[in-house]
Amino acid sequence: MKPITITKASVLALALMVGACTKLDEAPLLYGTVTEDNFGKTDAEIAALVGNAYTPLYGFGGNNHMIPLNEVTTDEMVVPQRGADWGDGGHWVRLQTHTYVATDPTPNNGWNFCYSGITTCNKLLITLGNSTSPNAAAYISELKCLRAIYYYWLLDLFGNVPIVVDFSDTKPPAKSDRSAVYAFVEKELTDNVKDLPIYGPEDGNHYGRVTRYVAYAALAKLYLNAGTYTGTPQWQKAIDMCDTIINSGKYKLAPNYSDNFVRLNTGSPEFIWAVPYDGVHAKGFNMCMMTLSYLNQSTYNINAQPWNGFATIQEFYQSYIDPVQNPGPQGQVVGLDPAGDSVTGTLDKRMQNNFLVGPQYASDGSRLADGGADVTDPDGPPLTFTPYINELFPTAWRQSGARISKWNFYKGMLQDMDNDWAIFRYADILLTKAEATARQNNNWNDPVTLAIVNQIRTEHGGVDPFASLTPATFLAERAREMFAETFRRQDMIRFGIYNNAWRFHTADADTHVNIFPIPETQLNANPNLTQNPGY
Amino acid sequence: MTPKRLLQAIALPVFMLFLIQVSFAQERTVKGKVNSATGTPLQGVSVQVKGTRNGTTTNTNGEYSINVPGANSVLVFSSVGFASQEITVGSQTDVSVTLAESSEKLSDIVVVGYGTQKKREVTSAITTVKAENFNKGNISDVAQLLAGKVAGLSVTRAGGDPNQGFVLRLRGLSTIGVNTQPLVVLDGQVGADLNTVDPNDIKSIDVLKDGSAAAIYGTRGSQGVIIITTNNGKTGTSQVTYNGSATLESPVKFTQHMTAAEFRALGKGTDYGSTTDWNKEITRTAFSQMHNLNFSGGNSQTTYNASINYRNSEGVAITTGFQQLNGRLNLTQKALKDKLVFNINMAATRRKSSIGFRDAFKYATIYNPTAPVHSKDPLYDLTGGGYFEANLVDYSNPVAMLEQNSNNAELQRINFSGSAEYEIIHGLKFLVRYAQQTSSNYAAAYLPIDAFISRNYLVGVTGFGRHGYAYRQDDENFNQLYENTLTYDHKFDKLQLQALGGYSYQDFVNQGYGAQGGNFATDAAADNFSAALDFQNGIGTVTSYKNASKLVAFFGRVNLNWDNIAFLSASIRREGSTVFGENNKWGNFPAVSAGVDVKRIVDVPWASNLKLRASYGITGALPPQPYLSLAWYNQTGVYYAGGGQYLQAYGNTQNANPDLRWEKKNEFDLGLDFTVLNSRLYGTFDYFDRKTNDLIFYVAVPSPPNLAPNEWKNIGQLSNSGFEAQVNYDVVKNRQWSWTTGVTYTHYHIVLTKLDESLKGSYVGATNLGTPGQEATQLTRAVEGEPIGILWGYKFVGFDANGRYLFDDGTGKGVTSDKSPPRGIIGNGLPKFEWGWNNTFKFKQWDLGFFLRGAVGHELINTFRAFYENPQIASSYNVVNTKYFNPNLNDAQIYSSYDVEKATFVKLDNATLGYNLAIKKGSMIRSFRIYLTGQNLFTITNYTGVDPEVRYQDVDGNVLAPGIDRRETWVYTRSFTLGVNFGF
Repeated sequence: MKPITITKASVLALALMVGACTKLDEAPLLYGTVTEDNFGKTDAEIAALVGNAYTPLYGFGGNNHMIPLNEVTTDEMVVPQRGADWGDGGHWVRLQTHTYVATDPTPNNGWNFCYSGITTCNKLLITLGNSTSPNAAAYISELKCLRAIYYYWLLDLFGNVPIVVDFSDTKPPAKSDRSAVYAFVEKELTDNVKDLPIYGPEDGNHYGRVTRYVAYAALAKLYLNAGTYTGTPQWQKAIDMCDTIINSGKYKLAPNYSDNFVRLNTGSPEFIWAVPYDGVHAKGFNMCMMTLSYLNQSTYNINAQPWNGFATIQEFYQSYIDPVQNPGPQGQVVGLDPAGDSVTGTLDKRMQNNFLVGPQYASDGSRLADGGADVTDPDGPPLTFTPYINELFPTAWRQSGARISKWNFYKGMLQDMDNDWAIFRYADILLTKAEATARQNNNWNDPVTLAIVNQIRTEHGGVDPFASLTPATFLAERAREMFAETFRRQDMIRFGIYNNAWRFHTADADTHVNIFPIPETQLNANPNLTQNPGY
Repeated sequence: MTPKRLLQAIALPVFMLFLIQVSFAQERTVKGKVNSATGTPLQGVSVQVKGTRNGTTTNTNGEYSINVPGANSVLVFSSVGFASQEITVGSQTDVSVTLAESSEKLSDIVVVGYGTQKKREVTSAITTVKAENFNKGNISDVAQLLAGKVAGLSVTRAGGDPNQGFVLRLRGLSTIGVNTQPLVVLDGQVGADLNTVDPNDIKSIDVLKDGSAAAIYGTRGSQGVIIITTNNGKTGTSQVTYNGSATLESPVKFTQHMTAAEFRALGKGTDYGSTTDWNKEITRTAFSQMHNLNFSGGNSQTTYNASINYRNSEGVAITTGFQQLNGRLNLTQKALKDKLVFNINMAATRRKSSIGFRDAFKYATIYNPTAPVHSKDPLYDLTGGGYFEANLVDYSNPVAMLEQNSNNAELQRINFSGSAEYEIIHGLKFLVRYAQQTSSNYAAAYLPIDAFISRNYLVGVTGFGRHGYAYRQDDENFNQLYENTLTYDHKFDKLQLQALGGYSYQDFVNQGYGAQGGNFATDAAADNFSAALDFQNGIGTVTSYKNASKLVAFFGRVNLNWDNIAFLSASIRREGSTVFGENNKWGNFPAVSAGVDVKRIVDVPWASNLKLRASYGITGALPPQPYLSLAWYNQTGVYYAGGGQYLQAYGNTQNANPDLRWEKKNEFDLGLDFTVLNSRLYGTFDYFDRKTNDLIFYVAVPSPPNLAPNEWKNIGQLSNSGFEAQVNYDVVKNRQWSWTTGVTYTHYHIVLTKLDESLKGSYVGATNLGTPGQEATQLTRAVEGEPIGILWGYKFVGFDANGRYLFDDGTGKGVTSDKSPPRGIIGNGLPKFEWGWNNTFKFKQWDLGFFLRGAVGHELINTFRAFYENPQIASSYNVVNTKYFNPNLNDAQIYSSYDVEKATFVKLDNATLGYNLAIKKGSMIRSFRIYLTGQNLFTITNYTGVDPEVRYQDVDGNVLAPGIDRRETWVYTRSFTLGVNFGF
């Protein structure tokens, strides 16, 4: 081969290499991957981003955070360990016995629930601040209030948490004192509430969004618990917030208690703020899975087998049927003995709505029977829910415990229910006013207080009005009305009974358990965080 | 092209022109005879005048004659199976030699990245395993061929699931990302799947162990490289070979649990009146067969090798197994006076797997032993399928599970690779290669209408009343490779030069879709999603994805050999990938290595080869998926737009990390290759020290300030040092019989030396005990400054008088769990060292080989014990009762060091007895061999679980969580294989 040919060949060879592709831009390879470069420009895209600030709320009615943290820690709800089921490393039992630790999953879920909403809001506030969209200003006020409500939950659950408002600040944040978090929530809500649009409970395009009365309701709850959060009660401010909502005339008690909880409850006149659930589109409300027995799958023809977990505690069930605690019309109800016999008791419509007890049937009317029933359970295989629970752990009978049917079950139900969930409900605002008034006037028989309590008792419960009230009877009444709506923990703390003993809970040594431990996952991820006292 | 590059392009070939050698000398003839040590004349010995192309071979009498240029000429005598010798001619005209036999053949070809070297020239840690040394028996995976053959390479699979892959680990761990298995290069196709090739078609496997050998593969070299060379046809032959085997496989050991009688005697669980051994019910003696037909041959222009492989393997669990058909064609065509060589390799595989359900063995262990398999009682026949079922969490009749439901996959792989190499001038070759690989997997599962569906069958499906439930997932992974290399080989007097320059481009596209839904009117419509009402009702789910990435690299290497005394190799690869942050797309991966043959410098009378070598190289590891540096939006759910309308919400699900950069491993290796004691003792020692910086891992980050609470980050440094030895000794070697014994030894120590400041005090990669209910029970941790493989938990010290567990409270005193005893390090899942011992005996036509191997010093968390070794659980489950069972235990199930066991073991991994028929010359038959192989013939261990094998990673692939014997593990099996090899 001649040298010139060799040179040519070599040049060709090297040219093939040198001229080859060296471009490493990832943009042409993205396919379905949506990035900041290709999304968030149009109004519809911005609406999709703002919508994301609300998506954590779909976890509200699930088994992961708000219900277990605020209900299973109290005297009205429990998740007993049923043999191998619901052992789960003991963390359900620890909620009930107030021995929760930083590694438990539920507090961490609650933390993530709030902060995922908060960081989404923070990010959006920057995006919207740079946006020329005409909707941007309205979105900003709405998101600031929504963020404040997430902080209100953190304030309630963890007390001392980091306040992060600027997404561009990338330093791992340090904690603020509980009183500082309180002040922040109060300021954010009061600064922005006037910029929020006024909408009532109807199913319009602001249903489920933070409107003006949502912010007032949040302020009402904040002030109601101000004594817990800061040591300084704010009863008058709580009354003022409630009055603003009441005087708007937009809300009223639903004619039937159950109207608030049935499958098609969208736009109930009591809904100040609701999570618009849907079994297909907006999933997350799986109370049917949490509470029903495995066999109830064929009662309602659910598309999945329920988990046989959450139940109420018998003394709480008794507070509805006991004619002394709850005077009213008498009739046959399921009693408290281990077999669940029928006894005479008060027929409170709320009891009938809130609990599923007694013999269980398939949708074709046949009696359900459980081949795996506990050897010691007096009911044997025929499935019968008894309010009586033999023990918290390790071997609570599979059939024991009144089940939570407050959000009414329906045939053909999916594992995620269609029923909407009221975060703030008008009856609660009325009761908040009643309590704040009693405490402000230092008189539990204040006519305003008595009138509200008796209005709710008669209209919702169909039971007899009270002639007089004590803090204990007021709280019991509030519990009957607000059962399972995630307020029991803060109510018990406010009334000073969270640390007392009840059936499955021995008295706490001190009050450090009134806020949850900062989750270990968060402490590990953020070296600037410190653990709450006592953990 | 820039002027500078043009100049470079021209300079190289011009320079090469000056290298053409001209020699002037006086020629004369030398004759002689070559004998073996036993005095037998050796035929076919290559006799070559060193430094020239002048050579000949000995005749049947071992005689040769050759013209040599002058008295300084050196004759090189070499033959396969013998140590080569070099003799300076001087004034002699008769040069006769005796060649010593050698099993370690220095002239053997070792395949290195983008080329080959003679074994003597190799300066990095590379082990070659040839087909004749592969493991035999019931082989279903290429990885099995290598188990125990390469010091430093661990090949493990706990349990006997034929559809489960093997975990390969070279020198432990040097990356904690997803790509912890070595890179596979199949006939030049970089990144090929190991099982694209059938074990029958492999000629040799070269394992590049150290950083310098692997650095030529740059970003993918950190876990080492496995180079597979498939069989090629030989010029002047025409051969047909048949290999066939049949295997019987049976379970060896089940998890110890209560029999029906023991369970009744305990009295805590329901007695259903039957006696069932659930493990027996779900297992069988499995029968497997393999057939391979191979055609090869060629003439001076064309060579070919074609083969067809069929495998049909049953699993020991009923209804499981696979069928596989694989075909391969390798074709080589020469043209232009042999200057141009075309190569085409094509392979296609289709494998149909019946996977079954991995929870079956768990349920067989814990299912009530007094329950019958079948029942017509409506209290127990919950779905009308005729099986006994009960509504308990994580509980399902394992026989029904396997018999009623199907879980299948069909895998299809097509590989195509073609290359053309042109020799521009003597020694200068240009090669173009194109290769592509398509892997398609079609997974399908169906749970029929009358099946009771436990929650672990398929994600998201529970309960009955679904009227059938179907699942499909189709995935395709495609990649194509385009490479150019320019190589130059030349000898300058005593200096042999090999130079390589190249460019590589590879792109990867992955795509797929999946769907699941139920509510069928009939099981007959199971494969037709349009018949599943779930989709009409809006609760069927559909997913799809597509992603892509690119790798671009330039590389070069120079190998120098000074008179077979000193050797030097230096290489660099500059590689870029689309998957990294904008500023860190490119990385440089250099390597240098050198070796010296001590024997040729100082006279060591007892040694025939002593090569000392040292190497240093930098390699990388890719993150597991593209787009990791970008901030992603993803659909996060819906938002309510009023009036019953739900719209898609979008949110950030990944934080931007523009700083994401290459993970780089720096490795130093010091090695000694030796052949001593009359060439009977030979082997290799290697010491290595590696540091991996900028480890890429998915870690928790604080949120806020971050949007997503987890992110892929460069988080720290891993240090790994170790020692490997591979030594063989020919104890007996004569014409009648021989015995060769060999050991491999592997030791390494891996420490997480640095962790990112933001993760101080954290533990990355922790995992938990799992469902039901132990999701928050941490089992493992990776802690800065501590070895990898930490098992974490309470330290068990005993039981109190009430039967409660007592744990060390930090002072050595035992306290119950409610006193919050501290958790700490309670074991390590990685072994202190691993060893293998090979023996091969040959007597006339008979041969016997056996292979023992073991791992020493590792611990395993026996999760069966952690969940079920407690009489309190009998109200729900059957009870595990190993030697640690305490019948008086009266406590919740609490995981602690009591469930951590030492798992040191010795296994007789493989033993083969073979007979080779003596074939008369001129016979139609070329060769005939029959053999019997037993695998896993015995295991010695104190571990109470089914298989003490090291778990290098968790079942989800988490490499920071070794040492967990999960309940999903299949039983351990033993097999016997009868096979024939037939050549004609």
